[in-house]
Amino acid sequence: MKRIAQIILIFSVMLSACENYLDIEPIGQVIPKSVDEFRSFLTAAYDTEIQHKVVTTYRTDELLLESNRERFDFYKDIYVWNDVNPGLDTRVFPYATFYTIIFYTNHVIGSADDITGDSEEIDQLVGEAHALRALQYFDLVNLYAKPYDAATAASDEGVPVTTEYDAKRDYPRAPVSEVYKLIISDIEQAEGLLNVEQQPEGYNYRFSVLAIKSLKARVYLYQKEWQKAVDAAQEAMAIKSDLMDLNQAQTVMASEYNSVESILALNTVTSFDMIEYASVSPELIAQYDQTTDLRYANYFTLNSDNKYKSNKTSADNFKCTLRTSDLYLIIAEASAHLGGASLTQSREALYALTQNRYTPDGWEDYKLRVGSLDQMGLTDEILSERQREFALEGQRWNDLRRTTQQRIDKTLDGETYVLEQNDERYVIPFPQDAIINNPDLQSN
Amino acid sequence: MKRIVYLLFLLPTIVFGQNQKQVSGQVVDMDFKEPVIGASVYITMDAVGSERSVVGAIADLDGNFTFRAPADANTLVVSFTGYESQTVDIAGMNSTGLLIEMKVSVEMLDEIVMTGYQETTMRKTTSSMAKVEAVEIKQAGVANIDQMLVGQLAGVYVQPTNGAPGSPAKINIRGTSTLNGSSDPLWVLDGIPLEGDDIPSDFTDKDNIDLLKSYPISGINPDDIESITVLKDASATSIYGARAANGVIVIKTKNGQKGKTRVNITANTFVTQKPDFSKLNLMNSSEKVDFELYMASRSDLRYQQGQGEVARILNESGEYNNFTNNGFSSLDPSVQAAINGLKDTDTNWGDEIYQAAINQQYGLSMSGGNDRNDYYFSAGYFDEKGATIGAEQKRFNLTLKNNYDLTDNFTVGVALFGSQNRTSSYLTGIDAYTNPAYYARTANPYLGLKDANGDYIYDPDLIERSDINLDYNLLEERANTSNELIANSMKSIFSIDYTSEIGIKITSQLGLQLDNDAAEQFSDQESYYTRKYEQKSQYLGDNSEDLYYMPEGGIIQNTNANAFQYNWKTMINYGQVFYNKHEVDVLVGTEFREDNNTMVRSRGFGYNPNTLTTVPITNERAATGSDFNVYKKSYSSNAYASFFGTLSYTYDGKYSLFSSLRYDGSNLFGVNPKYRYLPIWSVAGSWDLAKENFLYSSRLDMLKLRASYGIQGNVDKTTSPYVVGTYGTESVLPGISEEIIRASGAPNGDLRWEKTTSSNIGFDLGIWDGRLFISNDYYYRKSTDLIGLQSVPLESGYNTISTNWATVTNKGFELSITTVNIDHTDFRWSTSFNISANRNNVDRVEIQEESFKPSLQGYSVNAIFAIKTDGLDSNGIPLFVKDGETMSAVDFYNLLEGTDGSQLTREEHRDLYTYVGDATPKFSGGINNTFRYKQFDLQIAANFNIKQTVKRNAPYHMTTVNPGNNYSTEVLSAGTGDLPGLIGFNSAGINTDLVYSWFNSGDGGNTYNDLDVWVEEISYLRINSIRLGYSLSPAAASKLRVSTVRFYLEGRNLLVFGSDYTNYFDPETYGSAYAQPLPKLVSAGLNLSF
Repeated sequence: MKRIAQIILIFSVMLSACENYLDIEPIGQVIPKSVDEFRSFLTAAYDTEIQHKVVTTYRTDELLLESNRERFDFYKDIYVWNDVNPGLDTRVFPYATFYTIIFYTNHVIGSADDITGDSEEIDQLVGEAHALRALQYFDLVNLYAKPYDAATAASDEGVPVTTEYDAKRDYPRAPVSEVYKLIISDIEQAEGLLNVEQQPEGYNYRFSVLAIKSLKARVYLYQKEWQKAVDAAQEAMAIKSDLMDLNQAQTVMASEYNSVESILALNTVTSFDMIEYASVSPELIAQYDQTTDLRYANYFTLNSDNKYKSNKTSADNFKCTLRTSDLYLIIAEASAHLGGASLTQSREALYALTQNRYTPDGWEDYKLRVGSLDQMGLTDEILSERQREFALEGQRWNDLRRTTQQRIDKTLDGETYVLEQNDERYVIPFPQDAIINNPDLQSN
Repeated sequence: MKRIVYLLFLLPTIVFGQNQKQVSGQVVDMDFKEPVIGASVYITMDAVGSERSVVGAIADLDGNFTFRAPADANTLVVSFTGYESQTVDIAGMNSTGLLIEMKVSVEMLDEIVMTGYQETTMRKTTSSMAKVEAVEIKQAGVANIDQMLVGQLAGVYVQPTNGAPGSPAKINIRGTSTLNGSSDPLWVLDGIPLEGDDIPSDFTDKDNIDLLKSYPISGINPDDIESITVLKDASATSIYGARAANGVIVIKTKNGQKGKTRVNITANTFVTQKPDFSKLNLMNSSEKVDFELYMASRSDLRYQQGQGEVARILNESGEYNNFTNNGFSSLDPSVQAAINGLKDTDTNWGDEIYQAAINQQYGLSMSGGNDRNDYYFSAGYFDEKGATIGAEQKRFNLTLKNNYDLTDNFTVGVALFGSQNRTSSYLTGIDAYTNPAYYARTANPYLGLKDANGDYIYDPDLIERSDINLDYNLLEERANTSNELIANSMKSIFSIDYTSEIGIKITSQLGLQLDNDAAEQFSDQESYYTRKYEQKSQYLGDNSEDLYYMPEGGIIQNTNANAFQYNWKTMINYGQVFYNKHEVDVLVGTEFREDNNTMVRSRGFGYNPNTLTTVPITNERAATGSDFNVYKKSYSSNAYASFFGTLSYTYDGKYSLFSSLRYDGSNLFGVNPKYRYLPIWSVAGSWDLAKENFLYSSRLDMLKLRASYGIQGNVDKTTSPYVVGTYGTESVLPGISEEIIRASGAPNGDLRWEKTTSSNIGFDLGIWDGRLFISNDYYYRKSTDLIGLQSVPLESGYNTISTNWATVTNKGFELSITTVNIDHTDFRWSTSFNISANRNNVDRVEIQEESFKPSLQGYSVNAIFAIKTDGLDSNGIPLFVKDGETMSAVDFYNLLEGTDGSQLTREEHRDLYTYVGDATPKFSGGINNTFRYKQFDLQIAANFNIKQTVKRNAPYHMTTVNPGNNYSTEVLSAGTGDLPGLIGFNSAGINTDLVYSWFNSGDGGNTYNDLDVWVEEISYLRINSIRLGYSLSPAAASKLRVSTVRFYLEGRNLLVFGSDYTNYFDPETYGSAYAQPLPKLVSAGLNLSF
């Protein structure tokens, strides 16, 4: 019996040792807890690449596609706005990846109170998560819903909104106004939390006070909240207002992450296919004064086949979500809409930018021309200036959508395709895989 | 048997009465006249007539025994493992100097069955298990034991995956109880569960066929195996815990036999025949040229119309259109001659990729021992060149086992199993074309391999894109590439047993398993593989020219995988018989297990096989993709702690109860702690009616009813209620590398464990002293809360999550019959037959919204769905059947003008399908016949599958028949019978364009491959092995100073009877264009022992 007692004793010792025995922390796996771990977690979200700006560029008037070029099938139906039964190879507009990033940001925001570490770092991190989430919803709603119109935003269908992970619930579309409400609320929370004024070069994919104010200016611009847009842009410019002067020899381009203009270098705006297998449309080239506009030579190269190729290549350094030129043009555009005394402010912002874009003589001519424009002429000019400034930077599609929704004509293999003014196809239908997984998503 | 062992411990305590007599003699083997060392000789209890009193002895090294017994003892019982027990009448006789000849047992009732934790006998067991002796199933020229199990055991479905040397057999015990997990059984070697890779589930897939992999049992030499026991029901497997949900296969290896040293030598030569390539029915040159001419004559067929030599000749001479419009006779005579000249070359691709090979296998073993020590040593060499040139396996084995009795109470055992397995194969890239089996099917018969100068002829029809041909030549590829896996394996077991006088036995066993797999894939600069790889490094230069950043030279890829596990098991067992009627056996134990896996994969480019050096890649573009990563390491580690116990009770040898309980704990990182320990339990009972007086008959050996019930669980370790992340390194902006943590899977706090309940009822019937033995089982297994991936709204951040989503039931019966049909001294014929059926049903499964195929709910896991057709219309387009109505493709697929048919919702798409059958055979089993006539023996083993539905890949596609490829002659009949015709986008006939664009591009779910014309129901009986042996008579052998000499001749896989499997080599691999044929071999061997 004594022996049995001994055995029982040995067993119970073994049992208690067991808990430690089974506690193996697998190498390479972690449940994020500290601020450093959550930082790495959020970096993964930043690192999730979305090419929506690339794909929408094919829908604009900035590119020329030809059927004899490679990968033509990938983009043909996007190029001619054929959304019904596109070919099998057609590139799909991103949808799930936005929500993947939103999942990460939701987790950081939801864990805010449990993250351990330096409170300033935590605030900055959670602020970035809010800002990044705002950017995702902003991009989503501008892809898959009608542009913001204060009159109809409450009834216009937007995109599903989620602020915490739940795979079991339904995801109906939220009204555009609701989506914007979340965007603004996220931006405001981010403003309260972010404490890094400007991110250093190489880390400027992360949000900073400068970046969130710039994003806020852009969101208000899209909402046609002109005064708020001006205010936000001015706040941002108080932090950074440098412009790249093209009258000086430059080693980088304005849209590169390491340019003096960079505010947020997160999104990829060009692709290998776009640069190599498509060319810049003659319509876009025609927008530039080839003798006085320094951007013509800076942005484009004329190939031997008489086609223009963009100098903004698909290399990794061309990352641009927001840059200082944006701020100038936002002030110019919003002020122009405010009218009255603000028209001067609008012109001044425009001149300040274009001084760095035109030859000195050209700039004098430019000022003369713009100085004589009325309010309407000025807003049109600003749109053109945006087209020239942000050529192939993924802004054109949204600029067209939110302003004139102009008619676009394209010819492909002798056939003519037209995107009518105010065409329904200025809203992109939800991709097939999104609808299959979420029956509540009714196609646009 | 065990009871006897216990009883013998009691021997010294027995006190004798006054009337005693001396009992003595010798026990010898009936056939070999050798002493049977260790045989028990005892007086039965009723003969002695008192409690707890068995009188007897164990035969010593010379087989002699001697003891004193009561004078009125009438019968003497002699028994030993593997021999038939016999009773010797000693009433009123002189009981000294007895010569007892023992006969090798053919009945299994009293054999010891090793379950890994306990030993029991078939007579006592309450569980469903099946045992087979290695000697009965051994086949020459087979490297691994899994292949030998084909058709041997009821309920154990073994399917060879592929004919390549070293490729595994897929084993399924009692059906599939999972929808996406592994269904492989657990292998246990002498009590140690083996750790290793699961066998891929889909062996029609090219990647799985071409992959060299080592499996845990592939290092074990079949010569070392004594027996195999398969544990099938819950009461047998639950002691093994969660891993045993798919059944357990217990391997018991040979131990040394006490007595003088015995040496056994086997030598074996086997000839692997060249597969019969003509079975594939491919077009020969003449047929192929005519077929290309036919293709060219149809102006509507434009798919790859420039491909094929005929088209090239026509295009070069500018006569393609002339031919299409005016026919062959209108061609210039020189062109006609050039085309006809193609028919002169008729390459037999079968000869190029297949061979007949002569192979060898040798084995040497030594065993022996004295009363305190036994040993077994063996060495083995196995060398098999496959029928496919370049596929080869070589294995070296060393095994050493030693058992010592340290004292009367302590026994120590050591076992070492070491092996090296070298497998080599051809190297194929990521795409299908260059798998030799596939290439031989598609390469043109008029294509030569070398020109008159001896230079390689590259296949002009193996092209990447219309403008890229990377020059493939089978011979060049074989000469300049290699693919080899060297698997070193060491398994060692150390055990210590303590047996106390009062019946308590303590066993502690430590098993170590070390596996090192080193794989090397090399492709020289001049190879298609390298050229193809280089394409991945393509980029455009400043002047839009194509540049490559992969350095010039070869590519070398090394993968080194190290796996280590230890398993430490300690058990306390107490067994006792009380008052002669109550047999109690209690066991409690613990098991600790830890495994570590490390894998390092490295790649080098610009490899020079002479200097063995590589060239670094300097271009930063290489960093973007994973194809040019030069180093990758992965590591994983797991720990398990388990506690278990069993209790069994037998009353009077008639009624038995058995129960077991086990708690399995494992490291579950981030998993809900309430699932840390899984309880697994079972209860079982049996009743031997033959022991009841009302049924007692001397002819009835046993009639036992058995029933068992048990629960097993499993938890998904990859799902956590928390957000778990994986570390990585990424560079968001150039120049700065940062640590990232990427979320691994969706958090899910609601996940429950998968649960399988199993019930089993059965009976075992043995009559006429082992002449007939029948075992029959019915089982019902229900697996609930099976975990599977379910698609979720993308808005959640994921597209799929793991949920408990399915219920699967398996029910079936197993019947095995063993008979001794004739039993004379000179002639003996025995038969064993088994048949089993399994019905699998998915009771509930969540519908996958995005799925093209119908839900399995209400059908088998392996259900096959097809698109029903009903012949062809006048244009050669299949007619379809929906709701009993025959209709055109346009109506069936609801094709509308101006669309390509992809407007079908997934639900409508699913509804197109009809259930046509089950890929699991309705019945499967085997028949073995063994004959012995004087010194000759003949064994014929066969296995069969009845009514199995298989779907092959469509031999050609209606819209994409490529004139540059060869096809089976079926394509010549396209458009007749059931075979769909060839159509182009402007083929004449109504609605062809709609149908064309549907089949050509709209058919996203690839329904064409699912047409019922590709579905067959097959049944077959394969004669696995025919073996004829001749043993020299003991007298002749002793003249040669050896104890046994045996010659044998064996044929494997020589014959298959059954339904048609035209166009494929074997019914087992029917439908796979990539599989290597199962080897047909003839072997001759010699077995010598002295």
